[in-house]
Amino acid sequence: MAEVQLKNIKKVYPFVSGEKKVKKKKADEPEKKKVNLQITNEGVVAVQAFNLDIKDKEFIVLVGPSGCGKSTTLRMVAGLEEISGGELYIDGKLMNDVAPKDRDIAMVFQNYALYPHMSVYDNMAFSLKLSKVPKDEIDKKVREAAEILDITQYLERKPKALSGGQRQRVAIGRAIVRAPKVMLMDEPLSNLDAKLRNEMRAEIIKLRKRIDTTFIYVTHDQTEAMTLGDRIVIMRDGYIQQIGTPQEVFNHPANLFVAGFIGMPVMNFFDANLVREGKQYFVEVDGFKVELSPEKEERLLANDVQSQPVTLGVRPEHTDVTEQGIASKVEVAEMMGSSVHLHLDANGKDVIVIVPTIDMKESYKQGDTVHFSFKGKVAHVFSKETDKNLEF
Amino acid sequence: MLKRKQAEGGPIKLTTGDRAFYMVNTILLALLALIVLYPLYFIIIASFSDPDAVLGGRVILYPVDVTFEGYAKILQRTDVWRGYLNTIIYTILTVILALAVTIPGGWALSRQTIPGKKFLMVYFIIPMFFGGGLIPFYNVMSSLGLINTIWAVILPSILSVWNLFMTRTFFESSIPQGLVEAAKIDGAGEFRIFTMLVLPLSKAIIAVMALYYAIGQWNSYFNAMIFLQNENLYPLQLVLKEILIASESTMGGSGETILEQYRLANQIKYVSVIVSSAPVMMLYPFVQKYFAQGVMIGSLKG
Amino acid sequence: MDSAKTSPAPVKKKGRWLKKLRENYPFLVMIFPAVLVVFLFNYLPIYGLLIAFQDFMPGDPILGEYTRWVGFDNFTRFFNDVQFWPLMSNTFLLCIFGFIIGFPLPIIVALLLNATKSRRTAKILQTIFNGPHFISLVVMVGMLTLFFGRYGLVNNIIAAIGGERVSYFLQSSAFRPMYILSSNWQDFGWSAIIYVAALSNVDPGQHEAAILDGATRWQRVLHVDLPAIMPMVSVMLIMSIGGLMGVGYEKALLMQTDGNLGVSELIATYVYKQGLTGVPDQAYATAIGLFNSIINVVLLIIANTTSKRFSENSLW
Repeated sequence: MAEVQLKNIKKVYPFVSGEKKVKKKKADEPEKKKVNLQITNEGVVAVQAFNLDIKDKEFIVLVGPSGCGKSTTLRMVAGLEEISGGELYIDGKLMNDVAPKDRDIAMVFQNYALYPHMSVYDNMAFSLKLSKVPKDEIDKKVREAAEILDITQYLERKPKALSGGQRQRVAIGRAIVRAPKVMLMDEPLSNLDAKLRNEMRAEIIKLRKRIDTTFIYVTHDQTEAMTLGDRIVIMRDGYIQQIGTPQEVFNHPANLFVAGFIGMPVMNFFDANLVREGKQYFVEVDGFKVELSPEKEERLLANDVQSQPVTLGVRPEHTDVTEQGIASKVEVAEMMGSSVHLHLDANGKDVIVIVPTIDMKESYKQGDTVHFSFKGKVAHVFSKETDKNLEF
Repeated sequence: MLKRKQAEGGPIKLTTGDRAFYMVNTILLALLALIVLYPLYFIIIASFSDPDAVLGGRVILYPVDVTFEGYAKILQRTDVWRGYLNTIIYTILTVILALAVTIPGGWALSRQTIPGKKFLMVYFIIPMFFGGGLIPFYNVMSSLGLINTIWAVILPSILSVWNLFMTRTFFESSIPQGLVEAAKIDGAGEFRIFTMLVLPLSKAIIAVMALYYAIGQWNSYFNAMIFLQNENLYPLQLVLKEILIASESTMGGSGETILEQYRLANQIKYVSVIVSSAPVMMLYPFVQKYFAQGVMIGSLKG
Repeated sequence: MDSAKTSPAPVKKKGRWLKKLRENYPFLVMIFPAVLVVFLFNYLPIYGLLIAFQDFMPGDPILGEYTRWVGFDNFTRFFNDVQFWPLMSNTFLLCIFGFIIGFPLPIIVALLLNATKSRRTAKILQTIFNGPHFISLVVMVGMLTLFFGRYGLVNNIIAAIGGERVSYFLQSSAFRPMYILSSNWQDFGWSAIIYVAALSNVDPGQHEAAILDGATRWQRVLHVDLPAIMPMVSVMLIMSIGGLMGVGYEKALLMQTDGNLGVSELIATYVYKQGLTGVPDQAYATAIGLFNSIINVVLLIIANTTSKRFSENSLW
């Protein structure tokens, strides 16, 4: 029930004295993690130039590969991590120096972080007890939350006696009893197996309808991001890559990274040429020429984009097997049920094409020659120099 | 466990070489066990054998002419029982104070955000390798006015830096940071986190520390020897020292008198060894896993 | 502290520091008792070392109006003491012999324990081996007198097979063997614990791979088990070299008799006698003690530096 504003938020982990020297000495060794993070005189920069206005009751998902700064950002909102620069507002109040307990937030942790020596009931009641809520009110709230999450029968158990999914429910329950202004979730589903993860994802969608508050949700899983988020923030190496609704980031990826990160299987990329002929734009791949859709042409025109070599991106589900088109050899055909994933070798380039089973004319064997093509409205052109989508 | 067993032979037929290896291994270990156990066994059987039989070398494998005279005699030794009582008091006080110093200290040192962390680490590491030595220590105790008080025995024993670091290592490795963060978000302050979250989760280290400090105090004699003059304050070990050891060097004279002295003192020695070690030895099999745990916690860092 | 660097304005820096202090002062409250105890019983005595350079009489203030500084006089006096070389060699020899036996023994025991077929047997054996560790020094030395006294078990056996009774406690040649063997009897099991723990962490897969490669159990001890505990061995080696001149004098003191004083008088027991018994000469005793601790620190530093140069392992 609150707006959250992050203004130019920055996180720098200062060097522990001596660390710099060690780094230099072992420069030739392969570095283990955070390879791409910027290292400045001040230290390792984990997050920078983070600007985001979260609307009241919005569900925001921060997504990106590990080490991209998404968890750090969330922890800065929680107050578990000091904010190195910039300003954080919750409900219009500056929160940079406010202790976590006074921020009116709740958080669900990746590994649940349930208190092992307390019963489920006490776990959920702990925060209320600390803020001296009267006993009968605590009882009411805990039972309500337990009802919502369907864990009433476990209230007297210790966390150890629960399954992973049940623990996750308790962790969520602990967060919702406080009716927080902002609900923070740090990869809450990543410790669950695939089936349970899908179930819990649906639960969270339902839960959101019931408790109706602002959510900030961190995940590395793009499916979770796409299904849960009102808006998605895609991060990499401490920088925001793109902010948008699931449709926006899927249909209009801002750069090569977002294009590759969102969508499964991964988008196909080709070395291609963008050709401008007056007000028309074409892409040329392997001698195959496709005119872009009018909307795309309009946007390219608006940016006054000239003819140039580009990286062309087309999603496997937008690529079709056709009579004409780029020639390739079938390497593997994966039967997925409703569709077949064809792994093709087009002049040494790996390409995936999804063919719906329903109008599939033939079965594909290894070594078969097939042609594929795509339509102008699904082709994304990225600058070779900046990796940016030329439409932006 | 199961895998492990397979690695040690399992159902597969062993080669001759391996069979010889396991045989030698078993023999050596059995020998070691014998070397450890026999002296202890001998003390026990000697304590209720006839003193003459013990001195005459007739007690080797089993008690001879069973008598509980020695135990009866030790019951009359008021100095032993006073020592016992003193030691119990010292041990209890030491453990209480030691836990109050070591457990919160170890927790604080395990926190990354404690102000002056580096300084504190150095502050506690230096005494592990360098100290003032006996005389300056004695003088400090003297100027603190502790000489000839029970606090001279207790206070210097309430903190071992080694134990402090062991506690710290325990906290670092077994209290997940996530729990502390969850408690912070739930609104708990640092003191509350310590009392409501950390303490209930550190029963293992509290047990280990209590045992370490207890055994240390129970077995120590040196501080008592140099700081206590009042015999009423003597702990058990100091009383034992007089019973067990004092006589040997002062002994002289003809063989006959020596033998007589031996006869009188001998049995009470065996008995007092047993009486004084009994509490520790009886507890030992039950608590030994905690001791071993402690060594392991300590070695994590090493 | 360091993170304050990131804030641009110096005013803010101070504010951050204060804020951090305010948030984290509970930790200072929790550590304070430990700081106090260490200050009283470890640091004050270090300050008290100053008397080693003074003409100090018991009761004098350490830094008073009439303090007379004598420089290194107390040290030179010790170097010229007739006892100097005997003390040095007694201390050193007791330690070096103790080290030669006491260092490898726990390693061997741990390897043996690890190679037993049944885990349960190993557990029981370990329980037995650890037991003597909890016997107090007084009782330990008392047991020695009972076993090795003129009419003790050992002499009874010797007499029974026709030998001559010997008062081992009055014989200087028996002091070191008794001291070292009894120490090892007490502690070999205890010292083996960390090696046993390290060995139990060896991936069983390594053993299975070695078995498939045709290694015998003995070869697996040499090529799997031993390498697994080598890091631990070097750390323990550094520690024991650092403690080479810091032998437990409490036990030596208990074992001393007029007969064995020639080998049982160690630097530390001499310090005790000079400083706290008879007519105490505290300045002199403190100087001797300081000399001894400096040797220890130097040995530790040498051991650590050497180990650092030749391997990955070091204490700091």
